[in-house]
Amino acid sequence: MIFLSDFLRAEILDQRQQYVGRVGELVAQLIEPFPVVRQVVLRGGKKAFPWSEVRSFENRELVLKVTKEELALGEPEADGVWLARDILDKQIVDTDGRRVVRVNDLQLSSMSGSLIVVGVDIGGRGLLRRLGLEGTGKAIAHGFRREWAQKLIAWDAVDPVASNLESVKLRISHQKLAKMHPADIADVVERLAAPERLAIFASLDEETAAETLEEMSPEDQAEILERLDDERAADILEEMGPDEAADLLADLPEERVEALLDKMRQADADEVEELLNYEEDTAGGLMTTEYVTVTSDMTAAEAIDRLRELEPEAEQVYYVYAVDHRENLLGVLSLRDLIVSQPGKLVGDIMIDKVVHVALDTPARDVAEVMRKYNLLAVPVTDLDGHLEGMVTVDDVMDTVLEGAGRRRMARIFG
Amino acid sequence: MNLRVRANPRAAAGGLRRQLRKRRTQVLLFVGILGPGLITSVADNDAGGIFTYAQAGAKYGYNMLWLLVLTTLALLVVQEFNARLGVVTGKGLADLIRERFGLRITVLGMLLLLVANIATVVAEFAGIALAGEAFGITRYITVPLAAVVVWYVVLRGSYAVVEKVFLAFGLVYLTYIASGLIVHPDWGVVLSQSVHPTVTLDSGYLLLSVALVGTTITPWMQFYLQASVVDKGLREEELNYERADVIIGSLFTDTVSFFIIVATAATLFAHGHHNVTDAKDAAQALVPFAGQFAKALFVAGLAGASLLAASVLPLSTSYAITEALGWERGVGLSIREAPAFFTIYTALILVGTGAILFPGIPLAAVAFLSQDVNGLVLPAVLVYMFILINDRRLMGRHRNGVFANVVGGVTIGAIILLVLMLLASSLPGFPWV
Repeated sequence: MIFLSDFLRAEILDQRQQYVGRVGELVAQLIEPFPVVRQVVLRGGKKAFPWSEVRSFENRELVLKVTKEELALGEPEADGVWLARDILDKQIVDTDGRRVVRVNDLQLSSMSGSLIVVGVDIGGRGLLRRLGLEGTGKAIAHGFRREWAQKLIAWDAVDPVASNLESVKLRISHQKLAKMHPADIADVVERLAAPERLAIFASLDEETAAETLEEMSPEDQAEILERLDDERAADILEEMGPDEAADLLADLPEERVEALLDKMRQADADEVEELLNYEEDTAGGLMTTEYVTVTSDMTAAEAIDRLRELEPEAEQVYYVYAVDHRENLLGVLSLRDLIVSQPGKLVGDIMIDKVVHVALDTPARDVAEVMRKYNLLAVPVTDLDGHLEGMVTVDDVMDTVLEGAGRRRMARIFG
Repeated sequence: MNLRVRANPRAAAGGLRRQLRKRRTQVLLFVGILGPGLITSVADNDAGGIFTYAQAGAKYGYNMLWLLVLTTLALLVVQEFNARLGVVTGKGLADLIRERFGLRITVLGMLLLLVANIATVVAEFAGIALAGEAFGITRYITVPLAAVVVWYVVLRGSYAVVEKVFLAFGLVYLTYIASGLIVHPDWGVVLSQSVHPTVTLDSGYLLLSVALVGTTITPWMQFYLQASVVDKGLREEELNYERADVIIGSLFTDTVSFFIIVATAATLFAHGHHNVTDAKDAAQALVPFAGQFAKALFVAGLAGASLLAASVLPLSTSYAITEALGWERGVGLSIREAPAFFTIYTALILVGTGAILFPGIPLAAVAFLSQDVNGLVLPAVLVYMFILINDRRLMGRHRNGVFANVVGGVTIGAIILLVLMLLASSLPGFPWV
């Protein structure tokens, strides 16, 4: 196996074994699937020659195909990635392991005359190799009769993090990252510095960005949203559940909230605005306004059709609420009830008409208690007149109950 | 039918936000007023610091106040660098050093930081032992108890608790200001000595000057402050706000230092009690001149300071090292998830307590070692910071201008010169000793 650290400071000899200089950098082109080394930069960083001039690399000696005099030294390519400067020691996202790791070394491989980057060394061996102590480490491991494994990640499973927004060459598409589960993206993004988070959010599509944001801690959500421009932030908020969006907006300054609501689609903005009026720790603050209602005079088949129509929007479709034309809550049916019923049967005949419900100002803890007692996955929220206003789902309530879950992030302040 | 419950535990944190939001407002209120700058500064006046200031006051009266004023300016300059680096890059100092200077320098730096911080942690536990003994409680009770509290509260306690503990520590520092006022100093002399440099050219004065600067500006606080600034997640537009925070913090910490010098100068120095062997001794010496109450205040301050620094230092060290080497870290992770982090943290506390409880380890030598190693690391850290803050790729339009470079360069140059003198003085055959 050859590594970038083997090249750095290696001697460059010409065809006649005459000393030319030492390797300062390798410049690569970020090509999918593997970056290809284009140039060798001499120490000092000013002069470079193409990789095609290299005949062999062995025992830390880079031998050229030409003589020293024939070698055409030029400027380093402007749009190339400098492997040591831009990748080595930097953070990258391991999209398989779904984590942020630091690059200790890069594994290179020679393939039909070109040198390509095939892997990233994130292990202790890479660390010690850089310090010139890999042999010592190996000897110690051997002394304990242990194999000392390399910790390598294949290059096609990593997504470099742009450490510098100004440098165009490292503006990365983050395609690999975008394919991860939003909860995992959130995990990864929370470990990065603010400029890098923004770079990643800029590259995600709105839906993924919204889902990722929903998975993050309130502090981090607010921090990211504060840094995004209004247009982009509003687009992402539209994609979020109205209850999540309202929670997030509640953390932002008043003027910013208004600016964002102005930029959002009217319908979405109205829903969010309504939710913003409720106290945080009550059913009104917890609930979502996206739920499925049917009227009691619909047939089961019609109700299922309506469900199909609404499903993409609603957070939870297991419960369907029956209402009259003034949105008064009449009854509840489960999805199971609907499916097993005869298609022609009326909703009014299937539904349970004594519905367990909570009021807008019911405290979160009591909502949780109600759901626990009646084994509910969601509970409807009504106002004083019995109008259906929203629905609290079990995962919203679970969060309130499981207080300990947030400690991990809060404790970071000491770091 | 299965409910779609997201498998990730993070989902659980989603709705926790309502609880958190409330708490966050409280945190913001706290952090907004006091902030990372203040907590860092408060921890900076640790056992070693208190001893040095007490010594300065006892030995030279108000004479060294002018140096403290200059040191405060230097502290401001250095901390502004930290604030700017943290806000603009969003990264910790250890992160930036690794990314900018490569692995070798980082490993060397981290080893030195580790040694320096171990020595300092030992000094903090020594402070705890002394504070206990001033009230007649043996170190075999206070030190293990402190170790358990520090380990448990920080690693396993909730953030809200720790936050309040920190705030309480901050208040304890006010006791020094109270001590300084109780002893009724001659304010005319205090003020004139603060602005008129009067240098005595004897070796003791010079060494104490160096110690005073060295205990006020330490390597670990650069790492800790920047990490806390990053943690706060400020935007570039809010940089001035963070600058205000570090200014307030530096001024607060040095106001406390100022009053320690004033308190000891007005009592010990004025009555010819010039030699203070340790912080407990300084507290005891206050009794005949300022009464038991002044002593109690002084000791309470020492206990709080040592305990706070003993909590902050191991944590800051583990974060810096794991950050630099790319290992898992975080108080909320399990020991299996972040073994290196917990090993470093626990080891620092164990070594700190062990050194105090093990008979035969000379505490005075440890204190000197702590000062020297810190002195050795500080110039390197400051130079790294200076290079980083001038890096166009990193800092963009927030890199140092000419003015900042002149001020920063002079400050760092002066600190390096002092530190070199300190190091030279611990060599055998040094002419002044």
